[in-house]
Amino acid sequence: MSRIKAKRVGFRIDMTPMVDVAFLLLTFFMLTTKFRPPEVVKIDLPSSHSQVKLPESDILTVTVGGDNTFFMGVSSQQSRVKIFNAVVKPKLQAAGLSSAAVADSLKKFKLAENFRVERDELDKFVVMARFADQKLRPVIRADANAGFDAVNHVIKVYKKANLLTFNLITVLEREVR
Amino acid sequence: MGIVDSPNGRSSHKKGKRRSKRIGFHLDMTPMVDVAFLLLTFFMLTTTFSKSNTMEINIPPEKSEVKVVESNVMTVRIADNVMAYCSLGNEAPRKIPLYDSRDNNQLALSGELRQLLRQQTAANPKLVIVVKISEKAKYKHLVDIIDELNLMKIDRFSLDDYTDQDALEIQRAI
Repeated sequence: MSRIKAKRVGFRIDMTPMVDVAFLLLTFFMLTTKFRPPEVVKIDLPSSHSQVKLPESDILTVTVGGDNTFFMGVSSQQSRVKIFNAVVKPKLQAAGLSSAAVADSLKKFKLAENFRVERDELDKFVVMARFADQKLRPVIRADANAGFDAVNHVIKVYKKANLLTFNLITVLEREVR
Repeated sequence: MGIVDSPNGRSSHKKGKRRSKRIGFHLDMTPMVDVAFLLLTFFMLTTTFSKSNTMEINIPPEKSEVKVVESNVMTVRIADNVMAYCSLGNEAPRKIPLYDSRDNNQLALSGELRQLLRQQTAANPKLVIVVKISEKAKYKHLVDIIDELNLMKIDRFSLDDYTDQDALEIQRAI
C-alpha cells in the first residue's frame, strides 16, 4: 500500500483475548482448588512401595490414631444421614435432647469428615454404614505407631461386617530395592 | 513491550487532538496481567489431584477353612520385642531381628529375614506364610511385612491371631 511499513517500534498488540483466557483459567483453578481439610488427629502414615491409588467415592475410612483412638468417616452425605438416624439419634434421644437439638447435631454430623468412635461401638457404626451403602469401600488409615491390637480390631470388625477386601493407606516409599 | 489497547477502535483515528472526553484512553494493564499470570501459575502448580497410595488386602470370610499340610506352612511370629520368630511346620522357631540394627529409619526388613523368606519360597512353591503379630506390636510392622512380601511377589500368605500358644512357642526359639 501507499504507507511505508514502519519499523516495529512501539507497536501495540491487543492482549485482551489472552487476558480473558488467563483470568478464566485463574478463576477456574481458584474455585476448584480444595485445600486439604484440617485433620482431627495427626496421622503419621507408614510407608510402602505400593502404588495402588485410593478410589475417589464410596469410601468408609476408619482412622486409628497414634494413641489408639478410632475415628470413622463416610464420604457420602446420604450415608452419613442414615448412620446418624440409625445409631446416633436414638442415643441422643435417650439422653433427653429435644428434637431441635437432634436436628442441629444432624446438620453438624452431615458435614463432619470424621467423627470419634469408641472401640466397642465401632462394629455398630461399620455395620450401619454397610447397610446404608452396599458399594462401600472400606479403608484403614492408621498411624505407623498405632498398636497392632487396635488395627486388628478394625480388621475383625470389617470381617464381621463381611467387608473382606479393604485398603490400607500408606505413603510411597522412594527407596528402591 | 506491548501496550495493552483498550478495545475501543476509535483511538487510532483521532490521535488525541481533543482530549476533553475520555474516549479511547489507554490503560497500561501490564501489572494486572502479571499478577494474574502469577496467581494462575501458582494455582496450576499447587493443584495436585492428590490421591493416597493404598495397599489392598483380602481376608478370608469368617467361616472358611483351607487345609494345608503342616510342612508347607511357615509361621512368622512378631513379638513385641521387634523380633521375628520364623518356624517351618512344627520346628522350633528361629529368632531373627525384624529390622537391621544399623537401619535407624526401620524402613526395610532385615536382610536375614528377607533372605530366609526368599529362600523358603524358592525351595517350596506351595509354601504358605502365616503371619502372626502380637497385640503389643506396632501397626507399622504389619505394613512393612506385607510390603516386603508384595515386593518379593509372594502372595501365599495370611494373617492369623497371635494366641497364648504362640507366646509359648517363641519361648523355645533358637
